[in-house]
Amino acid sequence: MSAKKLMEQFTTDEIAESFVITERLTPKQKKEADLQLKGARKKVQSEMTDKDRLTLKIMQFKFQIEDYLNNENFDPKLTFSFFLKEYVNLLNKKRKNFAQEIDIDETELSQLINRHRLPNENIIIRLEIHSNNSIPAIAWYKLIEKEKEHSIRTNRALRQQERQFVTNKLAVKIG
Amino acid sequence: MEITVVATGEKKSVTIRPLEDEDFKLLLRKRYFFSWRTLKGKADLYKLYVSEDEDILGVMALFDVPTEKRIEIKLLASSKENVGRQKEHEGIAGCLIAYACREALKKYSDRACVSLVPKTELRANYLTKYGMMDAGWQLFLEGKPLVNIILKYLS
Repeated sequence: MSAKKLMEQFTTDEIAESFVITERLTPKQKKEADLQLKGARKKVQSEMTDKDRLTLKIMQFKFQIEDYLNNENFDPKLTFSFFLKEYVNLLNKKRKNFAQEIDIDETELSQLINRHRLPNENIIIRLEIHSNNSIPAIAWYKLIEKEKEHSIRTNRALRQQERQFVTNKLAVKIG
Repeated sequence: MEITVVATGEKKSVTIRPLEDEDFKLLLRKRYFFSWRTLKGKADLYKLYVSEDEDILGVMALFDVPTEKRIEIKLLASSKENVGRQKEHEGIAGCLIAYACREALKKYSDRACVSLVPKTELRANYLTKYGMMDAGWQLFLEGKPLVNIILKYLS
């Protein structure tokens, strides 16, 4: 349906509630539009406070975690450690200072970031509190769980190793 | 992310996903107003549906402009029964616009921008309804207004 026909059938308010209908510009108009937008955006960026930028970055971080957790695929790069490192980086803080803010030793933080240890519940709760509830503890937990699930699902060596400790296996098999 | 049933005020959870090939058979002009197939391969196309249902209630075409850290909304339509005074659901376009903002934010962080070149007659409505900013020919969302629309429609 053409935009003109829609305008005849519905009020502008009804159209805006249900559509985005756009104008096709001539090359000359497009050039002018691009310049106008560039100028307007420059002004918005110059007026943005550090707090505004942090809000945007934390939202971006949250959406990246959400999308990864909603994706069935496992990515070996996107671990709890990776996201923790990203979180510290986006805050622009030294590790030492961040470790103090969540009351852990700097060495422990390095071990968490370098995948040398996994966090206990206290740590992920502290991360939730530190983010002012923006990044829920359960999101951090699910990152660990996703890693664990992948490891359990794919660890052949461990299966082989543990076989020797099991006797009298079930005689039936389903699935 | 939710839309509202106009008659009862009930909230329904919705999902937004990229359009799949088989969806084009369903996207007929009489229900979705435009020929969406013509945008296939030219724009990033998304559908909105009620999460427990597969029925498409809204469609959106986006152009990504990475050099400008910007996503442009080219076209968006709600399904026929969701337009006008008798519409069944409210908030379909809002959710889709907010989703475009979420995609832009995910890719472009604090520089993210969503823009559109509105029909002149609709300009004022988009400014007030979605908190867009005026850039002459174009309207756009960036910074706080971009955050606000995400919080309003996607929380």
